[in-house]
Amino acid sequence: MEISGRRRSAGLSRRDVSLALAASLLAASSVTVRADETTFKFGLTPVFLTSDLELLGHLRKYLSGRIGGPVELVMRRTYQEITALLVSGQIQSAWICGYPYVQYRERLDLVATPSWQGKPLYQSYLIVPSDRAASNWRDLRGDIHAFSDPDSNSGFLVTRTLLAEHRMMPEEFFARHFFTYGHRNVVRAVASRLAQSGSVDGYVWEVMRETEPDLVARTKIVRRSEWLGFPPIAAPKFLADEPALVRLRKALVSMADDPDGKKVLKLLRLDGFVVTEPSLFDTIAAKVETVRRFG
Amino acid sequence: MKLINRIRSIPISYRMPLIVALLMVAVSAAISERVLDRLSRTQERFLDGLAQTYLDGLSSAVLPAVLRADVWEVFDALDRSASSYGALAPLETIVTGADGRVLAASDPGRIAAYSELPDGFVDRYGPGLVTIDETSMTGFTRRELVYQGLPIGTIHATFNVAHLFAERREILITLLVTNGALAALFSLGGFLLVRRMIGPMRVLESHMRAAANGTAEPISPGEFPSRNPEVASLFRGYNALVHAERERADLAMRLAEEEKVASLGRLASGMAHEINNPLGGLFNALDTLKKHGSTPGVRTTSINLIERGLQGIREVVEAALANYRPERSARPISPTDLEDVRLLLRPELRRRRQRLAWTVEWSDQGELPIKSAPVRQAILNLLLNASAVTMEDGEIGLAARVSSGELSIEIHDQGPGFPEDIAGILVDDDPGPALRAGGGLGLWMVRRVVDDLRGEVRVGEKPEGGTVVTLILPFPAEERRADAA
Repeated sequence: MEISGRRRSAGLSRRDVSLALAASLLAASSVTVRADETTFKFGLTPVFLTSDLELLGHLRKYLSGRIGGPVELVMRRTYQEITALLVSGQIQSAWICGYPYVQYRERLDLVATPSWQGKPLYQSYLIVPSDRAASNWRDLRGDIHAFSDPDSNSGFLVTRTLLAEHRMMPEEFFARHFFTYGHRNVVRAVASRLAQSGSVDGYVWEVMRETEPDLVARTKIVRRSEWLGFPPIAAPKFLADEPALVRLRKALVSMADDPDGKKVLKLLRLDGFVVTEPSLFDTIAAKVETVRRFG
Repeated sequence: MKLINRIRSIPISYRMPLIVALLMVAVSAAISERVLDRLSRTQERFLDGLAQTYLDGLSSAVLPAVLRADVWEVFDALDRSASSYGALAPLETIVTGADGRVLAASDPGRIAAYSELPDGFVDRYGPGLVTIDETSMTGFTRRELVYQGLPIGTIHATFNVAHLFAERREILITLLVTNGALAALFSLGGFLLVRRMIGPMRVLESHMRAAANGTAEPISPGEFPSRNPEVASLFRGYNALVHAERERADLAMRLAEEEKVASLGRLASGMAHEINNPLGGLFNALDTLKKHGSTPGVRTTSINLIERGLQGIREVVEAALANYRPERSARPISPTDLEDVRLLLRPELRRRRQRLAWTVEWSDQGELPIKSAPVRQAILNLLLNASAVTMEDGEIGLAARVSSGELSIEIHDQGPGFPEDIAGILVDDDPGPALRAGGGLGLWMVRRVVDDLRGEVRVGEKPEGGTVVTLILPFPAEERRADAA
């Protein structure tokens, strides 16, 4: 396989091996997807509200119109699955989290980054049930804690880094923790008290405050992280010259100028998409480094 | 037994509907019991089916998550299933892992993940699939989660079964209302039917009551039921009875009249004798006047003799007139009436040389509110009887006394006493048999007078021999009330 050959020449880490293995498994199970070479495959992770079918319909329609061909929206349960498909080139582009982007920065190009409240930035929140007395992240010691995804920046890495900076592992600080594989699920877990606290994407929490106010009202924020690079749309470097990707970037950046694009942005509560430098994600890279150093 | 007797004493037009209602209550109680029993079984089967489906669906949803001990996935399955199984109304579902600890509960705020299963959860189950606690109106069930033959966890489910009890209660109320309405309807129908059936009996009853009050009227042909030959036959029988009774009464009346005439004859002969006696003296006096009328002493003596003789005759005639003058018959009784009787009796007494003991304690009350004519006739009859049974030179008597609300008249003789069957005419409740035994028409007249005046007759014997007949005649009720006022 072409992709595997490129990896071998680049030197293999343990993560690379597992990713290649996952990619080959996914490739085997995606025969029908590969059969149609003209379809543009766009991957989505639970960085945003993938459960909104209306949004998906509008997004597919808009992208198809602007890219000039059929578009398939590819969704998987975990970030890792989408990242594997993207890095291996089985999908041409994907909306991923800043953390996987930083991990595969050498192999991925930024296509565009969403702009929220005027900036391509967002925060990670530590949330607890609204009637809980906790006011500081230290009050969360001994909790059952809900993370979003082990490859999520806001839903895992930020809290993991915070604890690492204080020389603690999640297993030490929290009594128990589990992954819900979705930011919305973190809010549900905390609101229902399945978890006593959770790490969640601040953008998702704020949007849910409008879309599901009753659910969000049962949670409150204990800590907001610093502003970090918003989860970007990335593409494999080796496909950078593909005309479809050029059209995709144009489509994303000019989304606010199009009626269908406006509908998508309205549903996502985003201002639009901007072209950003990879350095926007240096803060996240720094967190990865902190965690790596701590072990 | 008491209850049966009490029921028997209720009129049939009410008894019948009551029995119908009681039967309906018994039948509806039996039907309700069967219906509720069947409903209860159906509900249990339905509940078992729902619980089975719920557990099947939940098991397949949570099994992989339980294998991985994935708290979130287990909770997510529970959370989503709550809205999918609305018919079962799950209250709480808990999934435990292989170690018995809670993986997730539908309400994590109550039962936290990773905690021990609360006490009472394990031993709350009965032998069936679903155990129902009627006090809390909840049902419990559980399902072992088995993978490759090994237990990996358990689902404990609690659901609300209040709707089942509400449904039972609703059906019970429906049954009660429906059966109550039917019982009332059937009772009303029974009541109307029985009333219709016993309607002819009521006609008969009203006629018999009227007959008991003295006005026996035959049932008119218009009142005969056209489609009930048994009742028609009964009515005809009653009418025949009324006619026979009327004939008998007419006959008795005629006989009484004859008796009255007979006694009158006896009196008339006495009176004729009474008048005849002075007549000889009067004619002698007239002869003396014709021959020696010029002599002043003889004339005066003769005229005095004639005057006394004529006075005696006038007294006898006046008494007879008083007794038989019809316009005086409705007059209230007074001591004068007794005096008239005494006068009428005098010739008979003189003929038999009998004495009359006469006591009247009337004081100054004057007239009494009792019709005089029938009483005078009755007293006369009794005194004539007394005279007839007393030997010559004997004594008969009358003692009349007015006390509060009644007039008591006692007549005694020195006779051998009434034969028992004859006395029965006066004192028996039903004088018919005594009357039919023969004789005593005069006494029967007395009895009729007393009955008409709602009075009473007593017959007794005197210690020194002889009979005493006492008539107790009350004043009519309205008069007594007027007196009291």
